[in-house]
Amino acid sequence: MTTIRSEEAQEALRLVHETQRQMRRLVAAGGAAYYLWLWGVIWVLGFSAEYFLGAGSTVGWIWAGLDTVGAVLSLMIGWHFGRKLRSSRGTSLGLVWLAWLVYGGLIIYFAQPQDANHLTLLIALLVMLAYVVSGVLYRSAFFVVLGVALTVLTIVGFVLFSGAFSLWMAVVGGGELILAGVYVWRAWR
Amino acid sequence: MAQINELIHQPVRLRIMSALNMLETDERVDFSTLRELLDVTDGNLATHLRRLEDAGYVQVEKTFVGRRPRTYIGITPAGRLAFEEHVRALQEILKA
Repeated sequence: MTTIRSEEAQEALRLVHETQRQMRRLVAAGGAAYYLWLWGVIWVLGFSAEYFLGAGSTVGWIWAGLDTVGAVLSLMIGWHFGRKLRSSRGTSLGLVWLAWLVYGGLIIYFAQPQDANHLTLLIALLVMLAYVVSGVLYRSAFFVVLGVALTVLTIVGFVLFSGAFSLWMAVVGGGELILAGVYVWRAWR
Repeated sequence: MAQINELIHQPVRLRIMSALNMLETDERVDFSTLRELLDVTDGNLATHLRRLEDAGYVQVEKTFVGRRPRTYIGITPAGRLAFEEHVRALQEILKA
């Protein structure tokens, strides 16, 4: 039977905890910072265009272009990080976002928002719902808190700053996503 | 009383098992990712994985992603039990 001194046991347990911490970050991060930066920048650009150019077909095309670029880059990020870790949770997460896309489109189509602010509110709430669900799925309190915080900020902007709601969403919404990406990048590495 | 597992106690193997124990049952980590995480060489990791695989503690799956061969590693139920018992044994030494 192996005899181990307490110092050796302590060092072994330190190794275990350190490796588990690194692995937890690897599993949890999974490119999260890149997603947050990507969509933060898209929100800043899209909502800024909406505020400065006013709602119209030009802004509609800008949003369509930004969303297409976002979707393609998101798939590339997912593919890159999916190679590191094979997981059925990754598939589940992809299905959550696919379901969100389909139901989000249907809800917006049939709800017929009254104006640009209502449309923005509806989309932002749907996106935040997906963040919260993703957080629950990945047991990540961070994404749940991020989703809830952005929901509150979106509603505050809609109620209190309706005249500059797009600018609010660009600065506060996009800004929070970018800062959340910086936090994830620094804390989970 | 939990027993120290000599095979797992070796530092690199202990770190391999610690990392793999964080995965869900159906999750597998890529060989290169595990190597970078542990900061070891290809040969070193492969040698330790072989010993753990022979003991039935890890599962090594070779597959292709596109045209490139990739190796994914997961922990077996026996490996999880052995690792958890080893950690319990270490904790009991500290408490004694």
